Amino acid sequence: MVALNVLGLLAVLLTDTAFSWMRMFVALGISVLISLAVGIYAATSERAGRIILPVIDIFQTIPIVTFFPFVILIFIGFLPGVIGINAAVVFLIITSMIWNIIFGVYEAIKAMPKEFADLARLYGLSKWQKLSKVYVPVSMPRVVEQSVLSWAIGLFYLVTSEIFSAGNTAYQVKNGIGVELTGLALSGNTFGYLLGIGIFILFVIATRLLFFKPLEDYVVRYTKQGVSQGRISTRRRIYGRVMQLRLFRYLQSNKKAFTAYLVRKGGAGRGVKWRVAKVEKKTQKRGAAYYIILAALAVIILYGIFRANLAADEYSVFVALLYSFGRVWLAFIVSLAIAIPVCVYVIFLTKKSSFYLLLFQIIASIPSTILLPEIVALMRGYAYGSELIAFIVFVLSGVWYLIFSTMHVAKSMPNNVLEVKNTFGVRGVVAWKKIYIMVILPGLITGSITAIGAEWNASIVAENFQNVHVGSGIGKFLDMTIASPGFRMSLSNHYLLLMLLALLNIIIMILLINTLVWKRLYSRVARIYG
Amino acid sequence: MDSLMHIIEVRNVSFSFEGVAAKVIDNVSFHADRGEFVSVIGPSGCGKSTLLRIIAGLIRQERGKVIHLGDEIEGPVKGISFVFQDFALLPWLTNIENVKLGCSMLDISETERMRKALMELEDVGLSGFENSYPNVLSGGMKQRVGIARALVSDPDVLLMDEPFSSLDELTAEILRKDILYILKSKDLPVSSVIMITHNVEEAVELSDKIVILSHKPSRVKRVIGVDMKHPRNKHSRPFMKTVDEIYATLTK
Ligand SMILES: Nc1ncnc2c1ncn2[C@@H]1O[C@H](COP(=O)(O)OP(=O)(O)O)[C@@H](O)[C@H]1O
Ligand SMILES: [Mg+2]
Repeated sequence: MVALNVLGLLAVLLTDTAFSWMRMFVALGISVLISLAVGIYAATSERAGRIILPVIDIFQTIPIVTFFPFVILIFIGFLPGVIGINAAVVFLIITSMIWNIIFGVYEAIKAMPKEFADLARLYGLSKWQKLSKVYVPVSMPRVVEQSVLSWAIGLFYLVTSEIFSAGNTAYQVKNGIGVELTGLALSGNTFGYLLGIGIFILFVIATRLLFFKPLEDYVVRYTKQGVSQGRISTRRRIYGRVMQLRLFRYLQSNKKAFTAYLVRKGGAGRGVKWRVAKVEKKTQKRGAAYYIILAALAVIILYGIFRANLAADEYSVFVALLYSFGRVWLAFIVSLAIAIPVCVYVIFLTKKSSFYLLLFQIIASIPSTILLPEIVALMRGYAYGSELIAFIVFVLSGVWYLIFSTMHVAKSMPNNVLEVKNTFGVRGVVAWKKIYIMVILPGLITGSITAIGAEWNASIVAENFQNVHVGSGIGKFLDMTIASPGFRMSLSNHYLLLMLLALLNIIIMILLINTLVWKRLYSRVARIYG
Repeated sequence: MDSLMHIIEVRNVSFSFEGVAAKVIDNVSFHADRGEFVSVIGPSGCGKSTLLRIIAGLIRQERGKVIHLGDEIEGPVKGISFVFQDFALLPWLTNIENVKLGCSMLDISETERMRKALMELEDVGLSGFENSYPNVLSGGMKQRVGIARALVSDPDVLLMDEPFSSLDELTAEILRKDILYILKSKDLPVSSVIMITHNVEEAVELSDKIVILSHKPSRVKRVIGVDMKHPRNKHSRPFMKTVDEIYATLTK
């Protein structure tokens, strides 16, 4: 009898995971097709590129999961029942997966040898031949590489949207591992829950090895030198998304100055004249353009809110935002406190860093939201339990970005930094101040942007989850407005507010990083080498 | 066809890049006649590649004309082919598919395309490598595929942009010897070759005529005819004399 139950449960879990994976594959397929079209268009038409790129940049900084209830309403409006819900989920996953793939395609074509374009013209290739013989193949290595990353991000949104919908009888996704796990956890079936997570992890690993690995091996020949693309793609898995951000590139150019500074500090690379002023001027110009776009958007949104005449609940929305904002930033600080020692240990103090990297990658591909139902079940009845739950999920969502980004950047650390450390036996406080922090700082900063974004997303989900009773927060607030009559109108206003907040979030990040870190470093570098 | 007509005539061509005030190419004129192998030589960055891309119709000159058998060049045309410095083979296509790409403009059947490509690949000494990918080939073999792709359409003009400068000296030497043979053994011979180079010995070894360009902007400094029998002996007096003459002009 018990055995039968277990078998039955296993069958249910397997089908549900399979359903979830089907949504993922559909979403990935659509994402790749759209990315190829948009990316190639943006890269081959200068005018289109100028419009498309900033728009995409902004889209990928907005926590789209916040729009989920709204998206579901629209989809259900057009498509009946099951189809509508699934279309909404797939749509949501696409919105999380697609941006980095588009940038991958765009950059692949921009980085393509110009002779390839010459070839196409010289030999009079038709539009179709140009696509099939040149543009699509040249994009493939980056498409595969970015798909691996998109898969991890997409899983987060898949599970999140399924869990998100589980509490709402009005629009529930049927057959999904997220839904199933929520049910198991809330009914206290820990065994079933663990079994479900086990199956989930198995699927993750199987997809990596049986789907992406062969693809990676295949597209190796598409690269010019036939260098192993696999190595690169593993490195780029998680933080690839960060790298795609224009903001990242902005920071990256700062990082170069910083690395040069590091190298000089380490005593190597003497005679390399680094023109600080020039770099600074250039990056500031680019940064300024970015701020202008953001500010313009903010103005438009504010105007929209003003026009829509937000009435009585204006104040409560504001308070809710404030709560969420505080929670997210606090979680971010805790994530930093975890990430820094972990990174220092893995980069400097252990010889098994590649083992840890792999381990982290596997753990990171388990969406933190999948743990939400069980944490809720465990915390039931504790005072402040809900706050703690929200907090744990926030931290788990953000900390990986910090770790992977830091480890990635530390890879480009000049070898002689470690040699200097060992030769002179630098240890303790001096080692921390002069070496560890200096090396991990650039990666930490670039990871921070995505980490904050991920934590923000998690806040919407965690607060919205039915059994989490946090005091206030924007996610909570959203849920309440959905339940109220006439919610559609107020809902759209709140989304506008949310978008504004997301943008503000990013602007604050950048300004803080600039004033606290780079400006100081620059003036120091300038003082020493000016 | 008028036998006095030049195969390619470059007439008073000037060019500057958008947003860059200084001219890259200033009033350059020269021509290539039937059966002529013309080298254009000049220091790195003087605008040689740019000039060749103008002749190929890939970019448009600011002033002047390029005339191919009496017709003004306004874009890539069927009779003009190109060999790239860095080979420019598409790594996702097999060697034979890369060669076949060269006759995309020809109005012939697929089987005919295949036949021509196979033959061309054999002519450059690469039969047996049809179905492997460019990545497994050495640099010299890659450039042979590049040459086969350029020749498969039976062009009357072959443009080559530093075709040997990505190869090590030994490989380059062998391929330089072979290229004259490959060109000669074609059923439908190439009428003229225009080769860009910055290697003086290479120019003297291969060409019937050498156009020497100046730096910033590119102007024709001098045109030198080379009248020696092939294969040319690099240590012969006339050879060394011509080389010295070119060096003198270049550094003047
Ligand atoms: N797209 C471009 N925009 C501006 N300047 C260019 C561009 N491409 C090449 N140049 C400049 O034009 C000059 C000529 O380039 P090129 O024709 O490639 O020289 P060469 O082949 O003789 O080495 C160089 O100084 C180069 O820096
Ligand atoms: Mg050149």
